[in-house]
Amino acid sequence: MKQFGKIFQFELRGILKNKVFLGVTLFLVVAIGVVMFLPNLSALFQTGGEEEQTSAGELPVLALSLPEGELGDRLTPVFAAAFADYAVTPLPGGARAVEQAVAKGEADCGFAVQTDRSYTYYVTDLALTDDNPDRADAALEEAYRLTALTQSGLSPEQAADILAARAEHTVVTLGKDQMQNFFYTYLMIFALYMVILLYGQMVATNVAVEKSSRAMEVLITSAKPVAMMFGKVFASCTAGLIQLAAVFGSAMLFYQLNESAWAGNGLVAAFFHIPVGLFVYLLVFFLFGFLIYAFLYGAIGSTASKLEDINTSVMPVTFLFIIAFFVVVFSMTSGNVDNLLMKICSFVPFTSPMAMFTRICMSAVPWYEIALSLALLAVGVAAVGWVSAKIYRVGVLLYGTKPTLRTLAAALKRK
Amino acid sequence: MKLELCDVEKSFGDKRVLQGVSFTVQSGRAFGLLGRNGAGKTTCIRILMQVFGADGGQVLLNGEPLSRSRATFGYLPEERGLYPKKRVAEQLAYFAELKGLPHKAAVAAVANWLARLGMSDAANKRLDTLSKGNQQKVQLVTALAHNPDVVILDEPFSGLDPVNALLLKEVVQEQIAQDKLVLFSSHQMNTIEEFCDSIAILNGGRAVLCGDLREIKRGYPRDRLAVTTEDPAPLLRDFGDAATKTRRGEVILRLDDPGEKQAVMRRLAEQYDIDGVRVLEPTLSDIFVEYAGEEA
Repeated sequence: MKQFGKIFQFELRGILKNKVFLGVTLFLVVAIGVVMFLPNLSALFQTGGEEEQTSAGELPVLALSLPEGELGDRLTPVFAAAFADYAVTPLPGGARAVEQAVAKGEADCGFAVQTDRSYTYYVTDLALTDDNPDRADAALEEAYRLTALTQSGLSPEQAADILAARAEHTVVTLGKDQMQNFFYTYLMIFALYMVILLYGQMVATNVAVEKSSRAMEVLITSAKPVAMMFGKVFASCTAGLIQLAAVFGSAMLFYQLNESAWAGNGLVAAFFHIPVGLFVYLLVFFLFGFLIYAFLYGAIGSTASKLEDINTSVMPVTFLFIIAFFVVVFSMTSGNVDNLLMKICSFVPFTSPMAMFTRICMSAVPWYEIALSLALLAVGVAAVGWVSAKIYRVGVLLYGTKPTLRTLAAALKRK
Repeated sequence: MKLELCDVEKSFGDKRVLQGVSFTVQSGRAFGLLGRNGAGKTTCIRILMQVFGADGGQVLLNGEPLSRSRATFGYLPEERGLYPKKRVAEQLAYFAELKGLPHKAAVAAVANWLARLGMSDAANKRLDTLSKGNQQKVQLVTALAHNPDVVILDEPFSGLDPVNALLLKEVVQEQIAQDKLVLFSSHQMNTIEEFCDSIAILNGGRAVLCGDLREIKRGYPRDRLAVTTEDPAPLLRDFGDAATKTRRGEVILRLDDPGEKQAVMRRLAEQYDIDGVRVLEPTLSDIFVEYAGEEA
């Protein structure tokens, strides 16, 4: 236990002092800070812009070409109302005149209306957020329906009432609201995926570095292999938790500083109001999930003699983890997180950290299923830890030839 | 203290690496473990250090089964290597703590040893920035900083320049003088002869020769004389096939009967122009080649 403590401290100090670890953590915190402050910053810019516009008394120009006669007269007020934030400028000369006005920069955009239900929209660069065609569609459709209804004998008021009619509805969610939970479940699963994969690989690499640098020769005669392996794995796990805490903690802090600016965004608001219980589940599944994979990565690292061997050696474990991730993500996007595959994955120790956690977030899982999943996971972690420590004990002493499955099986039988 | 390996057996898979190896190491007397590559030396050392257990036989310390709680070990492995990217003092203190020293004591011991080896200025440097010889000395500190009861040195002088080799010899002599169990494993026979009072030669997983080095040598027939002379020609002429000249200019005379040596020495002094004559003992190298030359 004393040796475990020393190894844990040494390894953790090594990771926390590592420039890459510090750089990545700092980068993530800064990036989250920038994102969380963005609404306030952009509001600041927009406010300045509006003041500028108001002081200049200028609105963007919308060139409008309408057919002559009754249709043109009818649609002129329709466009003026739909594009109140534009200086709507009627142009004689049809589509060509509108196109030239936009091309020369005399107008910011333009509509050349051919009939009461067709038009051409002209714009220099179509922005991702340009909703002018949608606004024009809605305005023309409403004008068309209003005309049709009044022509069939209704008064304009009756027609306007009919068009304004809307159904009202209320949704009562008795289980979990997947629309609301999807975003934060995905974020947490992704964080789990990244941390386990990165730190698991780090455990394997560290063991291989000790072997290839021959520091292992001194280590194996100074400490028990089990203490060495557990010290490394738990130090990496703690470093992962510290990084997660730094990232999520700073995100929470930045959100609270900018809460009013994000009030209109339901997804973000939902993420920062995750029930505490889910965080506890995240923590438990992170710990178990991390340990089970880190033990495997540690054992694999011990069988590699050279650092270059690590990438190919860890591939089977990495694939297993990636498959588990995809099963979960596909189930999430399909909307059915309680399908048979997910249910099976919820009880298999290698997949349950992600599968069961997703089901808990996005559906109503009976408590006994959660308890069974956690119990199986705990047993799985203990078994994998025991097997990995045995493999580690043999692996670290072998140089050159990779141990065969037979050698490893023999090592498991040895006391 | 007395450390004993009694009929130790060890197999890896189908390969029997140790087949009933026995030897005894006494404190205050350096012990040399010899053998060709693959003879089982490293396996013996790992069993002694309890990296893994023996399949059969016993390892005893003062007559009782050995355990890590009963003795501390310091090990200088043949394959040198520590953490190349970490600072010297930091990793040395870590290893000393792993071997049981409290943090403050470990830091103090490391500082003392670095000063003793003239390396105080390297304490805060990264290991990979040091020369090979200095890295060797850092490695030596991992073996000795925690003041172990048993010191195991595997090829301790390999890669050291003469000045550092002299420094290491002083350190080893100190460890022996402190009544520690010092075990050498080396292919450098002169090193073993210089330090070790007793030896064991392993061959094919068996201890083919074991005991006090002086007695082993005494057990050989004293039938050779080494003659120092400026003029070897008369000796070579008169003694014929029984005389050979070495590269150093000595003439070795092989006697048919060891009992004749007093008479032959008198004759040499009276009839030839010689500077000196001595009875030639077998070197450890001769003994090693005799016992380990052929794979068992």
